[in-house]
Amino acid sequence: MAGRVIVITSGKGGVGKTTTSANIGTALAKNGHSVVLVDTDIGLRNLDLLLGLENRIVYTLVDVVEERCKLKQALVKDKKNPNLCLLAAAQTRDKSSVSAEQLKKITEKLKKDYDYILIDCPAGIEQGFQTAIAGATEAIVVTTPEMSAVRDADRIIGLLEAADGIESYKLLLNRVRPNMIKSKDMMSVEDVENILSCQKIGVIPEDTGIITSTNRGEPIVNNEKSLAGKAYINVARRIDGEDVPFLDIDEPKDIVGKLKKFLSGLKKQGKE
Amino acid sequence: MEQFLNDNMYVIDLGELNTAPEIIFELSSILDKDEVKNKRICLKLGNVDLNQAQLLSIKSLITGIDSTLSCVDTKSVETEKVALSLGIIVSNISAENSMEVAPTMPYKMAEELKEDITNTETEENEDIVEESDISEENLNDVIVEDNENLTSEKIEGASENKEDNEFIQQNSQIEKEVLSEEPKETINSVIDNKIITEATKEEIQDELDVIFGSTPSQTVFYDMENPSEVYEEREELTDIIVPEQEYTKEDIELESFPTKYIKQTIRSGQVINYEGNIVIIGDCHPGCEVTAFGDITVWGILSGIAHAGAGGNQKARVRALKMNAIQLRIANCYSRRPDSLNTVYVEKTNSFTPEEARIVNGEIVVFKMND
Repeated sequence: MAGRVIVITSGKGGVGKTTTSANIGTALAKNGHSVVLVDTDIGLRNLDLLLGLENRIVYTLVDVVEERCKLKQALVKDKKNPNLCLLAAAQTRDKSSVSAEQLKKITEKLKKDYDYILIDCPAGIEQGFQTAIAGATEAIVVTTPEMSAVRDADRIIGLLEAADGIESYKLLLNRVRPNMIKSKDMMSVEDVENILSCQKIGVIPEDTGIITSTNRGEPIVNNEKSLAGKAYINVARRIDGEDVPFLDIDEPKDIVGKLKKFLSGLKKQGKE
Repeated sequence: MEQFLNDNMYVIDLGELNTAPEIIFELSSILDKDEVKNKRICLKLGNVDLNQAQLLSIKSLITGIDSTLSCVDTKSVETEKVALSLGIIVSNISAENSMEVAPTMPYKMAEELKEDITNTETEENEDIVEESDISEENLNDVIVEDNENLTSEKIEGASENKEDNEFIQQNSQIEKEVLSEEPKETINSVIDNKIITEATKEEIQDELDVIFGSTPSQTVFYDMENPSEVYEEREELTDIIVPEQEYTKEDIELESFPTKYIKQTIRSGQVINYEGNIVIIGDCHPGCEVTAFGDITVWGILSGIAHAGAGGNQKARVRALKMNAIQLRIANCYSRRPDSLNTVYVEKTNSFTPEEARIVNGEIVVFKMND
């Protein structure tokens, strides 16, 4: 079995790389695939917190690299889903403790036993980024519809194209606010796609539920009602090769908005 | 054939083979590898019935490469008998689970311990059955082994530790090292254990022990404040069976350790290693690691990882005003914070009940101050 190694990266910090990694990983595992999440953000690890596995970590990526333990010992199984494993980053070290070759070796080993290896990349374009992309063949570039994030994503795509191993990359647009797009205060999904000239793999709406799920240590895909959760599940299915239509995220939540939408739909039908 | 490596133990899985010659052939090819040499070997056999001669030849094959056959896992009754007659341990090796080292046991609060004791009187403890899929013996074996390695590494990495110490020293200039050499002399002069308990406890015990330990002076103090409440609690808590705290070599060791005094908040990513006792005046935030050969005392909220008795001292304790540690490790025991205790922030109030973690019957238990 040869697993797929996907790096989740963004350039800019705070756009939702870690949240995306945790949710796509959980969604893929829910669909029956065996998944390993690798946190390469050494010194500023968060992925364990999002999955609620903080208290179970004994060995970390650095311990594996420095051969203090076997790779299998460092993999922490998820509480709910036995298909999902986490290889945590060390909190007490820094990015220089793992080199690109070492991470590549680890991903090569993991490939044999798991369907998907998702690598959570640190922010920035320095050594940490270069290490994280070393073992990967695919990339997901996370960005938000803000000029600064899009600029950084553009830079990252340039670096990914120049990198040897990366065969394909897709865009994931996070924290989209349909209402702000309507009032032209925010770039639309199409705008971002055009600027970056990159195919999108998903559009995730802004969701306050993300904050609570992060604090509770439970990925939002476990919450079936959440729109963001649904969007992440769709992303996971698209990664898997399914052709899933994009979610209609500009569904207004209040009754007045729903009525307006319904009426405008009727008008359109009348005109036709 | 799958081979699983548990640090200094090597598991060879021959469970799929059905005849003795097959096993010997396969085994001899595996034993050619360098990695198998100088190891304790565990054999996983399936349903095969082996006689004494066959098992002896297998054993001699293994001893021929400077390894020892330490245990055998078999489904056959015959083989089990023969193995026992040859003095080989027969146990269930669960290959997948034996790799898992993540602490599966959450640390217990003293009240839970009390419940456990009442439970065990009536029926088997459910917690243990749920938590350990593998036989307990096995789990213990693995954990102990891992910890042996862990501690030995700690000693090897002593030079690293010193670097870390320097780092901390750079950060805070208010540190002091207190060398408590006085107790050594008194202890050496006293021969009888009983005398030590009475004579030196009064002299040696520092302020913290007076506050945390259940010494008579403490009870008097609390009796005077609100006698009724305390007495009720104490009567309830007499049900807890805590092994009698004898004054042992380990206590002497703890008291002879030097003490590091740190007056700062320990933040995420900071590491403190010290071959002695550590006293921290301040909070320990999540993501920090405090490792001491002796006791760890935190005058604040402990939320990171604390490892007391890293040199193997079972009597070492972790004390804090509020115990919220992600993981507690004492000597070679691991425990994690119970998931039910998922508090993101600890509210900082003026009314903390100091807590102390120590080993009771091989498990880490957190006691409230008055327990």
